[in-house]
Amino acid sequence: MSRFNQVSSVQESKFKPLEHYGAVTALKIYKNYIIAGYGPTLKIFDSSSNFLLIFSRQIFGRNKIHSISVSGSDNESIFIAGGRSFAILNLNNLEDIDASETIEHAINEWIVCGQFLDQNTLLVLTAHNIIFKINPETFEFIEKIHCNEKSILYSGSIRITDSGQVIIAAGTVMSGVLIWDYHSRRVLYNLTDHEGSIFGVKIDPSANFIISCSDDRSIKLYDFHTGKLLSTGWGHGSRIWNLEFCTEINGTLRLFSTGEDCTARLWEYSGSESLKLVSVMDCHLGKHVWSGDIDDKSLELCVTGGADGRIIIHDLSAKTSTINSVTSSHTMDDIAKQTGATFEKKELIKQYSELPLLNILVILTSKGKIFTLNQTSQKWSKCETPQSTEKLGDFGLMKSFPESNAVVATSRNGDILVMNFEGSNVSKNYWIEDEYLLGNKVANLIIESNLAKNEYYVLIDCPNPKSPLVLRTFKLDEGTFKLSSTNLLQQPDQSSFTTTCMWKDEVNNWLLLGSRYVSVAIYDLDSEKNKDGHINLGQIFKKLSIGDTITSVSIISTKKEAVRFLMTVRDGVYMYIDIVFENGDFQLNIIHHNKISRGFVEGGFIENNDLILYGFRSSYFYVFNESQQLEITNELCGGAHRQWEFLRYKECDPLDFKFIYINKSTLHIKCFQNRFHKVAGVTGGNIINYGTHGREIRDVSVSPAYQSNNSDSTRLIMTASEDTIVRLGRIHFNGKIESFWCLNGHISGLQKVKFFTREYAASSAANEEFCLWKINESGDIPLVVEFARLKPSSSNPDLRIMDFDAIPQFDEGGQVIGFILCTVYSDSNIKVWFFDVSKKSFDLLVVGNYTTCCILNVHFLTIEEKTFIMIGATDGHIALWDIGNSITARTSTCDTLGNPIIKQQLHQSGIKAVLLLNKKDNDYSIVTGGDDNALILSKLTYRSEEDGFLLETESFIERAASATITSISKLDESNVIVTSVDQIVRRWAIQEDSSLKCISARYTTIADTGCSDVAHFGGKSIAVIGGAGLSSWECK
Amino acid sequence: MGKSSKDKRDLYYRRAKEEGWRARSAFKLLQLNEQFQLFKDVKRVVDLCAAPGSWSQVLSRELYQTQKNSHDEAKIVAVDLQPMTPIDGVTTLQADITHPKTLVKIMDIFGGEPADFVCSDGAPDVTGLHDLDEYLQAQLILSALQLTTCLLKPGGTFVAKIFRGRDIDLLYAQLSYLFDKVVCAKPRSSRGTSLEAFIVCIGYKPREGWTPKLELNKSAEEFFEGANIGRSDNLKFFELPDPEERVIANFIACGDLSDVDSDATYTLDASESRVVLDPVQMPTSPPYKLALEMKRRGDLVRR
Repeated sequence: MSRFNQVSSVQESKFKPLEHYGAVTALKIYKNYIIAGYGPTLKIFDSSSNFLLIFSRQIFGRNKIHSISVSGSDNESIFIAGGRSFAILNLNNLEDIDASETIEHAINEWIVCGQFLDQNTLLVLTAHNIIFKINPETFEFIEKIHCNEKSILYSGSIRITDSGQVIIAAGTVMSGVLIWDYHSRRVLYNLTDHEGSIFGVKIDPSANFIISCSDDRSIKLYDFHTGKLLSTGWGHGSRIWNLEFCTEINGTLRLFSTGEDCTARLWEYSGSESLKLVSVMDCHLGKHVWSGDIDDKSLELCVTGGADGRIIIHDLSAKTSTINSVTSSHTMDDIAKQTGATFEKKELIKQYSELPLLNILVILTSKGKIFTLNQTSQKWSKCETPQSTEKLGDFGLMKSFPESNAVVATSRNGDILVMNFEGSNVSKNYWIEDEYLLGNKVANLIIESNLAKNEYYVLIDCPNPKSPLVLRTFKLDEGTFKLSSTNLLQQPDQSSFTTTCMWKDEVNNWLLLGSRYVSVAIYDLDSEKNKDGHINLGQIFKKLSIGDTITSVSIISTKKEAVRFLMTVRDGVYMYIDIVFENGDFQLNIIHHNKISRGFVEGGFIENNDLILYGFRSSYFYVFNESQQLEITNELCGGAHRQWEFLRYKECDPLDFKFIYINKSTLHIKCFQNRFHKVAGVTGGNIINYGTHGREIRDVSVSPAYQSNNSDSTRLIMTASEDTIVRLGRIHFNGKIESFWCLNGHISGLQKVKFFTREYAASSAANEEFCLWKINESGDIPLVVEFARLKPSSSNPDLRIMDFDAIPQFDEGGQVIGFILCTVYSDSNIKVWFFDVSKKSFDLLVVGNYTTCCILNVHFLTIEEKTFIMIGATDGHIALWDIGNSITARTSTCDTLGNPIIKQQLHQSGIKAVLLLNKKDNDYSIVTGGDDNALILSKLTYRSEEDGFLLETESFIERAASATITSISKLDESNVIVTSVDQIVRRWAIQEDSSLKCISARYTTIADTGCSDVAHFGGKSIAVIGGAGLSSWECK
Repeated sequence: MGKSSKDKRDLYYRRAKEEGWRARSAFKLLQLNEQFQLFKDVKRVVDLCAAPGSWSQVLSRELYQTQKNSHDEAKIVAVDLQPMTPIDGVTTLQADITHPKTLVKIMDIFGGEPADFVCSDGAPDVTGLHDLDEYLQAQLILSALQLTTCLLKPGGTFVAKIFRGRDIDLLYAQLSYLFDKVVCAKPRSSRGTSLEAFIVCIGYKPREGWTPKLELNKSAEEFFEGANIGRSDNLKFFELPDPEERVIANFIACGDLSDVDSDATYTLDASESRVVLDPVQMPTSPPYKLALEMKRRGDLVRR
């Protein structure tokens, strides 16, 4: 046998890489360009044309780009390097690069960075602290330069100073920073203040400062002239990977850092011993902001790249300006001074409402006084109202109808004050005396409007079960708000029902009320009234989820007798819900349910199919694009316990917000405008390159096509990562993968995810977690709920559910009524269940143990209508059981798994991957891949009831990979795709003589290659490869 | 994870504490030995990257207690940059394995005789950038190998921890020039989910016409220049070298199938689980110790 690895590169053209999503390993801002190292691919975005991707090409065959620099001279050359590879490209001739030409070069050592010294000299620093001097035109070697200190470097940079000095800053693996001079080859400083490895070190262009960061989680700033430590920055929660200098303004030096804790941070040095943390950008998923760069002078932005494969731009124009023009603050004293009003000792601002057409803010004090702020002139005035407003003191609730310049307020007893505004003043006001609450206290005032119908609704909720809910409808008549009708609604017969939000559906004339304890009441306003003249409650749906208060309801779509709405719950849950009126009843169906982990949710809306949520997290108010997993903005306001108002201006720009709040008796008005929100069509903007999970992907599964529609050009895709996240998305015909939801149902690291049908999928994890997901594709984007969850066997579960398999059970109409399900565990346990879809119940049919070793995978086999389960385990064995009777009987008693009918060793150690191919009725081909690098084709033949099975090895490839085989996916009946952590994806064919042959092998850019699946689009097959990132390849 | 839940998840962890090993990795060397009889006729041993010292413990027990060698007959040298708590019969050197002086010190202890066995269980701190981590691990192995080629007797054995990722076949190819037999061994005590494995290189055969020489300021790449072990050198115009030699080493799973499975979850007896054992050796303080203390004190405000 040959010495050489025969399966490292074979007929590579049979695999065509389509898309890659993975770590952003380098970023550089140069002029208006953002240059990104996206693994081995170089991408260039142009900030002057909406961050358009103007160049994208894989430059290196295997290595990732870790370093980028640009020559400042006339011929703007880009130097890129990573691993042992480097290349030079001309920025002005990008189109001319011949796609077939290899421009990759290599040095026999790890390259840390490079810099053009001049037109004819390129300096390349290696991890041995050696500079290679190279001619960038001819690639001739000129000389090696070193300072006699050849320690191994984690990081380093070359600074050619404004005065022509060339300084090398070298960050070693053992806590030291070496600063040396290129010309004299002398070490200037050995800075040893850090503990642990140095991950970043830079010198500023004027050579006044040195900055470094390390394993000790600190940033250190040194005086370049003396080597003296000036200041230290603490704040990063884990390792810091990258540092940059910003411009120095008025003696204040700014620094920029990115780190493992998923944040980018801005720091300030103005002479103190510790660096001041100015701003934190928490912007990537999972772990690691690997790369970043900043231009706070001309572009006024910074850019970050994460392990999640996303490239995100951050607006610095607001963060760096000294006067923040978009926030205004007002104290009671300010108001008193401007208006001459006198306030009582404990008088406070209680309520505020905005009238944007007049650009005024109306406030109500705790003594019932009303003032307005002209937001253009920033002038306060006291409203002189024709009617006394004193009744609103102590309690008053106030709301505005922005489109009609009207404000309504209610007193404690339910009297309503209606005010119309002109300019900064009330033009008309009048009181509507309460007739219905009979002295009971008002709990809430909720409003809604329908401009098309010129109808404005005001709901008064009173907690007394004897009082009805009062719904008043107003119309705007020649600039005056006039009461047009009053409806009394039957109280939901539940003492705990407290209305917190409402929505009126115009198509059906339904009123939807949200309450505490996640309960929803629905009224048909056209329905008959009861004997008291109250509109009957249509239906109440109680406790739709665990949690407390429903903070918002809003209609997504409506048609006759069917509405779909979005509901948010304060504890972070959000749901998409269908209510239909069928057979004389309202029926509610939750079609999407998820919980965000960012804090409290106070409301949400859908913009361009993206779900935007807002609420509070510790002392912050945030606005978050849940679909894109990106914080749009935040405001340090002190936390949730305060008066606040969140306003949107749909007609101007859906992502211009205003957040008004009171902190320490001061009124703050904060306007958010998103400079980049139109970028790349992302709601909330700022993402110029999409990505995937921020941690290793453990498993991937592609859905079947719709049975009715095989020409469908997309499939659903689910990915599960080691950090508990399951993602649902779509893979397109062209290999592009789009993500819709990050599902947070798991709390421990995932093992497997699998589609059972187009509608049902499941995932398993440690902690004995098993979730069954149900997907709804009736809208523009797929929606998903956790349909059922397996109860752990103990209160303190520590088992991992390693794998599972299912056989769907259909009724005569082809509807799924249940699943026969098998789950296998890390303690060798095997359980077979029947899951009943209508009851959402798991009935245990069979339970048993294999040995004591960890089971790695399980598959069902069906032969002659008998059902078998087959497992693969860490001991290298395949075992098979007949469970036919247990399943058909489906009795209430649970059977015990007997002895396996087959137990046979195939591999030396763990069987990591198993693929079953049903050859003929009674014959299966089994392809197994192991930790032992071997790939085995076995034949499983069912002989007869008496003689049972025969398992024979047909083909044994001992060296099928140079490392663990991690997954096997079916390409067709005789071709399989095999992944291994050696980062080679191979295609093996089962030949006529039942031997395995490697017919294609190609390097993948996905490290920690761990899982795969194949999407079949008619004649086209796309393999999806997961690990540290996600790739799609066409298999030819 | 608390001490007791880790006990349950990882029986080797508990057994290491019961049997007095400083780390569970002791079982890996024991299982490698079961397979390859590594310690047979071995008198002079070097344990590189030895801290906290569990492999040295195994070597000490094997050479002095099992084989009943006197401290004069058998010598064990443990080298690490970190300090190490003393172990019976083991000379600990707090030193850099790439430094020529370290070689001189070891040779002094061995009285000028070559070593019979060199091992290394060292691994760099992982960053999460797989290519960088693999490079650093390869550098560590090359550093160990440099020293090994300077002091191992012909026919001697070298064992080192590897991570099986991309390019591991390059390492196998290079090692197979230096040893009669190169095997990739995976002890059952090493988790199946981990990329960790061990190269067992048996029968050192010095390269003809090449004298290994440790020199200050010489990189591992430069050290092996001229050894002709299939490593590619820089080409004239730094062209991408031709595909390098790659070999897939034999894989051998070590330890008995009836041994504890490091991937399985075990149910401890009620009496067992009640006794929570302390680790034999407390972990050394990490570089970010101060940052952790500051966090605990609340000095690291998020913004």
